[in-house]
Amino acid sequence: MFRINLKIALRNLLKHKTASLINISGLAIGLAASLMLLLYVQYQWSYDKQFGNTENTYHLMVNFYGADKSITGTTPQASNVLPAVLKEERPEIEHISRVLWASRRLVASGQSSFKVEGRYADPDLLRIFKFNYMSGNPDKAFDDPNSIVLTESTAKRLFGSADVLNRTVRFENQANLKVTAVIEDLPPNFTYGFECLTPWKLYENLNGWPAEPNWGNYSYFTLLTLKNGTDHNAFNQKIKNTIARHTGTKNLDAAPFVYPLEKYHLYGHFTNGIADGGQIEQVRIFIILALGILAIACINFMNLSTARSQKRAKEVGIRKTIGASRGSLVMQFLLESFILTIVSVLIAIVLVELFLPAFNGLLNTKLEISYASPANWMGFIALITLTGLTAGSYPAFFLSSFNPVQALKKAVALKNNFGLSLRQTLVVIQFGFAIVLIVSTLILYQQLQYLKNRPLGYDTNALVEMPHEGNLYLKFDLFKDRLLNSGAVSAVTQSSGSIAFQNSNSTGFEWKGMAQADKKVSFDLIQTTHDFLKTMNIRLIAGRDFTKGRASDSSGIMLNETAVKRMGIKDPLGQLVFFNGKQRPVTGVFADVLWDEPTRNQHPMAIVFNAENSDVITMRLNNSRGIQENLDQITKITKEMNPDFPVELKFVDTLVAEKVEHEQMLSVMSNLFAGLCIFVSCLGLFGLSAFSAEQRTKEIGVRKVLGASVTGIITLLSVSFVKTVMIAMLLAMPVGYLVMDNWLMQFDYRIVIGPVVFIITGLSSILIALLTVSLQAYRAARTNPVDALKYE
Amino acid sequence: MIELKNIEKYYANKGVKSYILRHVTASIKQGEFVSIMGPSGAGKSTLLNILGMLEEPTYGQYEFMGEDITSLNERKRIELYRNHIGFVFQAYHLIDEMTVAENIEAPLLYKKVSGAERKSRVADVLDRFNMVAKKDLFPNQLSGGQQQLVGIARALVAQPSVILADEPTGNLQSAQALQIMDLFKKLNQEEGITIIQVTHSEVNAGYGSRILHLLDGVIKEDVTVEQTV
Ligand SMILES: Nc1ncnc2c1ncn2[C@@H]1O[C@H](COP(=O)(O)OP(=O)(O)O)[C@@H](O)[C@H]1O
Ligand SMILES: [Mg+2]
Repeated sequence: MFRINLKIALRNLLKHKTASLINISGLAIGLAASLMLLLYVQYQWSYDKQFGNTENTYHLMVNFYGADKSITGTTPQASNVLPAVLKEERPEIEHISRVLWASRRLVASGQSSFKVEGRYADPDLLRIFKFNYMSGNPDKAFDDPNSIVLTESTAKRLFGSADVLNRTVRFENQANLKVTAVIEDLPPNFTYGFECLTPWKLYENLNGWPAEPNWGNYSYFTLLTLKNGTDHNAFNQKIKNTIARHTGTKNLDAAPFVYPLEKYHLYGHFTNGIADGGQIEQVRIFIILALGILAIACINFMNLSTARSQKRAKEVGIRKTIGASRGSLVMQFLLESFILTIVSVLIAIVLVELFLPAFNGLLNTKLEISYASPANWMGFIALITLTGLTAGSYPAFFLSSFNPVQALKKAVALKNNFGLSLRQTLVVIQFGFAIVLIVSTLILYQQLQYLKNRPLGYDTNALVEMPHEGNLYLKFDLFKDRLLNSGAVSAVTQSSGSIAFQNSNSTGFEWKGMAQADKKVSFDLIQTTHDFLKTMNIRLIAGRDFTKGRASDSSGIMLNETAVKRMGIKDPLGQLVFFNGKQRPVTGVFADVLWDEPTRNQHPMAIVFNAENSDVITMRLNNSRGIQENLDQITKITKEMNPDFPVELKFVDTLVAEKVEHEQMLSVMSNLFAGLCIFVSCLGLFGLSAFSAEQRTKEIGVRKVLGASVTGIITLLSVSFVKTVMIAMLLAMPVGYLVMDNWLMQFDYRIVIGPVVFIITGLSSILIALLTVSLQAYRAARTNPVDALKYE
Repeated sequence: MIELKNIEKYYANKGVKSYILRHVTASIKQGEFVSIMGPSGAGKSTLLNILGMLEEPTYGQYEFMGEDITSLNERKRIELYRNHIGFVFQAYHLIDEMTVAENIEAPLLYKKVSGAERKSRVADVLDRFNMVAKKDLFPNQLSGGQQQLVGIARALVAQPSVILADEPTGNLQSAQALQIMDLFKKLNQEEGITIIQVTHSEVNAGYGSRILHLLDGVIKEDVTVEQTV
């Protein structure tokens, strides 16, 4: 039975080439898209779960309380003293380790010298995560502060081999460290990834100040494991008052708690102390997209097979009279859909392999199908089963239910309204989904443009920056003079952080006439010396830039317009602002600079004179010369003056563009998937209209003999399809509006959704549907009526 | 083998009952060759469908081989199709996607006959119907008469006790029609298969042993045919 059914299924596939092509290509596209999306979902899902003991691994967090005892904020960063105190007081803690944020660290050995992502951590980190060691002992690796753990790639880049235990690495041009372990490269979906790891003790030795106990500086990530069987909620109750107890505050204003690390990435966003999502929202969007596009492809399959049901009905009738049971018919139709699905899956896998590199580029990931993993095979099989069943179930159960007499008589009962309206309902769902995606795509695009076009307040053109490091600290003035004299640049400045993105903020500014609560106002903070406004081309509103030769400027402060407004100062120039232990005269007021995410409101900003805290050197290239010539010259001078460090020049406009990377990615994704959904839906519509034209050949023939025109017949055939698409539009547009309105709410700086989006969506979907349908209608209308009527 | 008692069939349309069969009572014995005759719309097909359990009577009693059909479940009915009833249709109703051999084999597949036995039975039937050369052709490559031969071969291959044929020669030329009737007669006489056919042709009916004349849903006449051959 199976063999003959298989044979018949294949014959059917070949006989109805258009339908098969539509089904297979639609399913293949749908499956490929969902496979890629699901790979990404799997990638997100396995975040931070690679190194064992996940159920006992936690992230230390701190809740901040307001005056009314409600939680006002949550941070994943804690002070440098809290971890040790907790470890001493709470026996439930097995291991606990601070981890510094990742920074580019210079590592060198002999001729090879480059920067890698490096972190500092306590020895316990190597006990919390069971990394895969190629050499070395995790328990002893950090016994000596002058140690370093390398990943395989870093080791190979440095020494040309991974077998490098006990070799010496020159670190940050400051210390010689011994390689005490080499681990396999860390996966990209690990929050605390690194390319080299050094002991926290070294961090303290090299910098001094991090060793000072400081309860008030919430800067450090902390990871810990609790002993097996510890209830973390009960544990959190016990540690709640730790900070208050040690700092001697009467009111609880900061309470530590532990949060499962495996939830940290996906559910790491907190509002008023309650975890309310995070990356999981994007994962959900991706799952909906994956299932949606797959559903659209399955709907094509259902529609085309039920449309053909009149032909198949006869077969059902015959089979029933020769002894077929309903079950065997169901199996037969499912077999057909499974054959199609399997063919489609094979094509889909080829498509995925073809397009995965581009997809990875878009998402910044390294996804791949690992064919060796049994879990993936289970996944494939599950996907095939789900698709085959969804696509095949409706035809299988619908067709097999036919009563043989009706089926054989070609009774009118087959053409009942239900079948027709169900088909239309499915088309409405397809187009509805596609239309929601079109609306979203257009709105995403508008918002993205809006963000991109938001005025920055400075000029990114020909603006480049480099790290301020090594000899450049001591010889900054000489460096600046040499750059200016070379003619490669027109202005140079140093600063505590890049102009491209917000990297520092502070509270505790005091000024005359402030309210007590104003102490908590957070100011964006840039520390710099001379020529900052000049180099960045920031508009001065009053006063002047910090200028060389003005002694008073060296204790000065400059404020942006928003700060002046927020502080409520009438005549700011010369007013004193107390910050960081000093009274500082306001020497300038400048126009707002977009420093934070472009989606956020403008903050108050202060630029403070401080030569001691500098990480970045920014310069404006000389416009009258070629860019490459300028860059070469800068590189040459830098190399000469700071030979131990690689020269890393970055264009500020590139850095700024990265700030909307996420929105840009969403925009590309929605474009892509809206396009695919439309395409697959149109494939289905094309198939249905072909079928309907074929079914009505005789009617068309008669009408033509009676004098109907070609356009008249096209209208006749197209009108019901267009009506269906219009219903989809009416239903889907409000959904699209609500979804996107809700999405926009997360931004302070956002567009207002206007009618244009809906007009464009409406016109384009009708146009597309009309084109698809009328192509078939035109063909049908053009056939010679005699051919049509000769049939039967 | 077939007992009909007071079979009634009507369709209710907007409260108006239109009767198709009224008080049909008949008894058909194993080995009979019955022709049902009557004008178009008389209810012949409906009666045959009821005999074949494709339709249910609105009212009345129907016993097939001693079993009460009205209380028969789906599984039992499929059992009867597989083992006792063969259908032959006016429009042949072959499966277009199957070759001649496959069409003939299909009932055996549902009957779960073993592969070897299937092969030999299909070969047998093909041989008997002189269709060996055509076994790999598809129905649309055959003439109407040939298609109907395949239809009969298919009905026969499962070795049914009764063949129900609704105007089996209605679409055929008279030469082919006579060939089919000869075949029916031979099956009836040599293998004892009960045959019930609907026909418009006196000539065809003459091949049988008994004629039921149906008029407006009522059996007007039940005559035994004088065997002329
Ligand atoms: N589903 C139905 N609903 C209403 N009337 C029906 C239906 N099926 C058949 N009929 C009517 O029943 C009558 C008998 O039909 P049928 O048994 O096919 O006649 P015959 O085969 O003798 O020509 C016809 O008048 C036909 O119109
Ligand atoms: Mg009839």
